[in-house]
Amino acid sequence: MSSHREAPEISKDPVADSTDVYAFVSPDQPDTVTLIANYIPLQGPAGGPNFYSFGDDVLYEIHIDNDGNGQDNITYAFHFQTKLRDPNTFLYNVGPILSLDSPNWNSRQFYNVTRIQHGKSTMIGENLPCPPCNIGPLSTPHYANLANEAVHEIADGIKVFAGQRAEGFYVDLGSIFDLANLRPFEELHAQYGMHVFSKPAAGVNATAQLNVHSIAMQIPTSELLRPGKHGESDAAAVIGVWTTASRQQVTLWDDWRGENISSGPFRQVSRLGNPLVNEVLIPLGSKDLWNSLPPADDKRFASYVAHPELAGLLPALYPGVFPHLEALVKAGTDRADLEAILLTGIPSGIVKGFQNYTGPVQADMLRLNTAIKPSKNPNALGVIGGDLAGFPNGRRVFDDVVTIELRAIAGVTVPLVDPAYKPDAAAGAVTDGLTAKSVAGGYLSHFPYLGVPHSGFSTPS
Amino acid sequence: MSAQSHPEPTAGPSRRSMLRGAGAAGAVGIAAAVGVGAASGGAAAATRPAAGNRAAASAEHSADAAGGPLVVYLRDAASGEFDVFAGTSRATIVDPDLAARLTHAVR
Repeated sequence: MSSHREAPEISKDPVADSTDVYAFVSPDQPDTVTLIANYIPLQGPAGGPNFYSFGDDVLYEIHIDNDGNGQDNITYAFHFQTKLRDPNTFLYNVGPILSLDSPNWNSRQFYNVTRIQHGKSTMIGENLPCPPCNIGPLSTPHYANLANEAVHEIADGIKVFAGQRAEGFYVDLGSIFDLANLRPFEELHAQYGMHVFSKPAAGVNATAQLNVHSIAMQIPTSELLRPGKHGESDAAAVIGVWTTASRQQVTLWDDWRGENISSGPFRQVSRLGNPLVNEVLIPLGSKDLWNSLPPADDKRFASYVAHPELAGLLPALYPGVFPHLEALVKAGTDRADLEAILLTGIPSGIVKGFQNYTGPVQADMLRLNTAIKPSKNPNALGVIGGDLAGFPNGRRVFDDVVTIELRAIAGVTVPLVDPAYKPDAAAGAVTDGLTAKSVAGGYLSHFPYLGVPHSGFSTPS
Repeated sequence: MSAQSHPEPTAGPSRRSMLRGAGAAGAVGIAAAVGVGAASGGAAAATRPAAGNRAAASAEHSADAAGGPLVVYLRDAASGEFDVFAGTSRATIVDPDLAARLTHAVR
């Protein structure tokens, strides 16, 4: 979850597995937008001696649609290359790494950034060093400073960072994947007659001690928008964002060289826009296909959004708790609220003072109205919590997307499109029991916003 | 490891050894350091069109097609349709005779 190991094929290919996408107006640089694409899920910080790195054979991209057709108008492409100083040692580093050009650092990674727009590719960052992974007090003694060195200012006024970060997405994976158990309500679960739980329990953050690899960009907003008026109510102020990873079509184990070789055109193997869409809404038999397609093709998956499987499971697993939702599901009513939130954006007139509508094309993109200023008092529940600067108006690193989407699926957002519908009392309370405070290391108040990665030495402690 | 970073192979298998070494009937894959012209059929560009910006990205990487390894995949033995991969390019070649000889060789 949000998109960690969400589909059969990509779960076998972690370096190409996109886990989360974030898009928000930068709170400390409000004339810019920050875009973050995370990859390589569920990293144990002590995972050496070959610590985690991006795939040199993977094409990573962040896409921006600024005219609402579900196709990208601007793409930022990232190509990585690993360089070994000394192939005759098994060590990642042979002494403390005190700078990005440290002679003690053996296995380093560099990357190029290309901007693609109007059919033209322009290299805007070349041979940029990634930081090392956070190993421990002897190898990476001043990690935060070291990572700061890996924030690069490149062409077009853009900042970029690519490297390890602490996982900022919080979720109780252990309970949710145990037949949709939610610990704060587990005594209400049907429990298949086993009577395992008799009282509520606190949520457990399954990602609390894990790391991830982030590609983060901070881009002047004007670089991303199409021409037009850019006020809060203007369509031209809204962008759609998603990330993809692609691999060359052929991979062959070359036993002459003792390594894999790749050949052929790049083909998309992973995609992510809104959190949890492929994870929770798309059925197993269609997940790999979904990952291979652009958002513009999402009409073919719209029925899974309009009739989410989880909406039918909640009343069955929590008997008597969701009677209104149960009636809604039995009536076969299309969930126009979810279609708007996830596939088209929310038009004006639905939520007072807010819109992130991109038009009628159904496409899973993270939609950000760039004219809405960052909140001075953010609410991690975003728009349903009265904070228009949070999910589903883009997504900030601390937004509680699990609770937001659970509540939306449970029916809390149905009145946006059907004022006569009264959500179940439980719909507004359902949660996996976690908040942003469940992220022990917290977040940064500046780019790249996700926290310093957990070190292998101290995690688990 | 990216395709661009591969050193050129110092020697490639002969056509005869390719035929001997091909691994499976039906769909057959061959990796070789030979030119596309070694197969006699007509070549066409990759059949799956790339959209928008992706087209530009693909074009960006196609320049190294002549350098690295070349992989031939017999996608449909009945029609003799081959996919030929080189660099970041793919061409489609139809050569029923070659397909028949390959499938015969691996029986």
